[in-house]
Amino acid sequence: MRRSGLALLVANSLLWLATAQAATRPRYGGTLRVAMGAVPSSLDPADAAQSGSLAGRNLSSLIFDTLVALDERGRPQPALAISWQAEPGNQRWQFKLRRGVTFQDGTPLTADYVAASLRVANPSWKISPAGDAVVTERDSPAPNLPAELALGRNGIAKRGGTQLLGTGPFAIHQQVAGKELTLAAYNDYWGGRPFADSIEIAMGQGFRDQMLSFDLGKADLIEVAPEQAHRAATEGRRVESSPPRELMALVFAREKASPDEGRLRQALGLSIDRGALSNVLLQGGGEPAGGVLPNWMTGYAFLFPTNADVPGARQARGEVRQASPWTLSYDASDPVARVVAERIALNAHDAGLQLQLTNSSTADLRLLRLPIASLDAGVALTALEADLGLPQSKLSGRSPEELYAAESMLLQSQRIISLLHLRTSYGMNATVRNWSEAPDGAWRLGDVWLGAEKP
Amino acid sequence: MPGIRHNAVAVYNARIAFLGMLTFLLRLLRAAGFLFIAVFLLRAPTASATDWTAPEAQLASKIAAVSGPGAVALDITNRSSLGRSDFEDISRGLRSQLAVLGLQFVYADQAAATVQISLSEDLQNYVWVAQIHQGAGESSVVMISTPRSGAALAGQEAAAVVIHKALLWSQADRILDVAVVDGNPTHMVVLDANRVAIYRLQGDRWQPEQFLPLTHTRTWPRDLRGRLALRKDHLFDAYLPGVFCRSTASAPLGLNCYESDDPWPVGTDQFALSAFFTPSRNYFTGALAPGVGKQTTAPAFYSAAPLPREKYTLWMFTAVDGRVHLLDGITDQMAGKLGWGSDVASVHTNCGSGWDVLATGNGDGASDSLRAYDVPDREPVVASQPVQFRGPITALWTEANGNGAIAVSRNAETGDYEAFRLSFTCGQ
Repeated sequence: MRRSGLALLVANSLLWLATAQAATRPRYGGTLRVAMGAVPSSLDPADAAQSGSLAGRNLSSLIFDTLVALDERGRPQPALAISWQAEPGNQRWQFKLRRGVTFQDGTPLTADYVAASLRVANPSWKISPAGDAVVTERDSPAPNLPAELALGRNGIAKRGGTQLLGTGPFAIHQQVAGKELTLAAYNDYWGGRPFADSIEIAMGQGFRDQMLSFDLGKADLIEVAPEQAHRAATEGRRVESSPPRELMALVFAREKASPDEGRLRQALGLSIDRGALSNVLLQGGGEPAGGVLPNWMTGYAFLFPTNADVPGARQARGEVRQASPWTLSYDASDPVARVVAERIALNAHDAGLQLQLTNSSTADLRLLRLPIASLDAGVALTALEADLGLPQSKLSGRSPEELYAAESMLLQSQRIISLLHLRTSYGMNATVRNWSEAPDGAWRLGDVWLGAEKP
Repeated sequence: MPGIRHNAVAVYNARIAFLGMLTFLLRLLRAAGFLFIAVFLLRAPTASATDWTAPEAQLASKIAAVSGPGAVALDITNRSSLGRSDFEDISRGLRSQLAVLGLQFVYADQAAATVQISLSEDLQNYVWVAQIHQGAGESSVVMISTPRSGAALAGQEAAAVVIHKALLWSQADRILDVAVVDGNPTHMVVLDANRVAIYRLQGDRWQPEQFLPLTHTRTWPRDLRGRLALRKDHLFDAYLPGVFCRSTASAPLGLNCYESDDPWPVGTDQFALSAFFTPSRNYFTGALAPGVGKQTTAPAFYSAAPLPREKYTLWMFTAVDGRVHLLDGITDQMAGKLGWGSDVASVHTNCGSGWDVLATGNGDGASDSLRAYDVPDREPVVASQPVQFRGPITALWTEANGNGAIAVSRNAETGDYEAFRLSFTCGQ
């Protein structure tokens, strides 16, 4: 009896051994090869263009640390600062720095460096060193300041000379502008040396080129176009997709000039078939968005309608006697943007509106991809407003009602029409182990280690 | 005679009636028992212990402030991770709170207003939203939020036939090792990256007794590891990468830590072996003290397990190269591909050849497993069903007496580290 039981166990085991992917304790060493489409103009975290893109933020988070980090639920946690305290009124904050942290050239991190770095990113803030702490004074109450300091643009950098240094897990080792970037593990990183020795990043590669590199074994980690993610997975590639967290939206270049223009903008919003954009064009790579922030962040986004209402759009259009054509620009290097722009122009046409696609920088409307900047919904909303050059909402607290009112106000301004919340998808080969993203999309490559191809 | 017959008949009939009643009652009781168990089983996993009264009252009051008393059509939808039981509790609670405030529930065609309540959530809170439509006017929206508790743990995983795991402790900080000091009272020592915590068993709960901070200047490596060793002349030693700590002998305990490359114990009291740990990595260098027979080095390895033989001890090492090496004092033999993880521990189970090897399995995803193997000669043979863990196993150490083991895993759902004491029975 025992023998037959054992035999069964052995048989089970053989099956298990054949199918199980053996896991090992993380291994140190190796080079992770990454391919990406973006070509960040600068690696400086304070560079607005850099921090506004998902790729830029990802690179920044590898090299630079922030004073505060947000956890999975968007709650501030210690990073370079180990504690913080606000004075009554939330205008003056003090952040006590972690001891023993060094920049990647071995220079100790001091309050002077932190203050200088934050001043570059936030010229209007009053920031001063105070012993082993940094004091920040704002003109108005800033209850969400810790979460703001977790934004990528507030990464602490040591500038000066030719080198840009951070305190993050990887240091810039080599850079061929616009093409390649090599990062080396920082052995004395305060959070523990990364497992991989280095990361080689090939930049400016289209989705097709990335997939080719991946299939030829020249890249370990690549970006996958949202509409390709499902197919890539069914073809046997390992694809990891995030929750929807990048907003695709139409943004008007200027305020509406008249109530009639407001009616036309309303007509355009009603005409768009977001369901088709999501399900047909993107093959489920995004979700229809009526609001700016996704529902998983706010809990109320379902209140903003996403369904197309073509009769309503026609009615709104019909209330305006004359409507000049609008020009719509999009990122010509983004194939997703092109097909979405074309479909929107068709939807608009059905409602009696004319949209002319262009690459001009002076278009009436822009089709933009806007990454959600923070897991703190209030900070994310104000950061998005700042990126778009719109007046920033004044939020005094964290109540969902207040946030809902602010977001409703932004949408009612008719400067922005939300379309989709996009997922980000990555393809990675079997050697890439312990892959994870922070909920805000930042790569956690310090935790990634490289295993054997076939364990 | 008639009396007797009557009596007999009466007795006979009465007996039948009594037995029938008894049988019926037993059946009824059994049915009720099954029903009770069924209801309990259905109810238990989703039973709600949360008191929703305050947020229910808050939302009801906001709704009533907009709608006023009167006839409304009410619809409640769950858009959150709340379970059915909680959803039903909350729906009942909201209805009763709204009724207290003068709202009557009617069909839509008889209603002065419609109220659509959505139980939604954001990252930190449940967000309950009510849309109130009155007449042809625009709808009003009111909402409240209430903190989400940590994700509820699902029912305990079924234990394997011969490996029994008992949860000792869980905490948010990474647990490196746990040692149980059996005695009266029983104590538990928990080593993490920042401190050693001492707990005393009181009833069925561990009560904190003392916290001893680890003082060190070194930066810990990723995948931090550490080991506790109970001692006879003082309570314990703690080994961490590049740091050694020794406790004092008597309460209140003190802890003296200093930088040290002293080798860590990797065996048991009975089969002792020490090995040098790489201070800035997560593995042992391979240098052994005193060594296995004549062999003083092994390949760099993650873990080691002794397997006593009649005249020698066979040592298994899970090497950094991904292979399992067997050192018998003279030769270094590589095992075939076993599909094991990088942590092994040996335990005295008294089953099979007496000692078994525990090996981790797939720890790369949201779960991990542990399995016992008998090693009659050099080829491991499966000896147990795998025991599942709800996240990767981050530490696996044999207890000093060799009869049990401590496994720590990081629960992929909650993010907490959970330390289990493993014990074994055989013959199943």
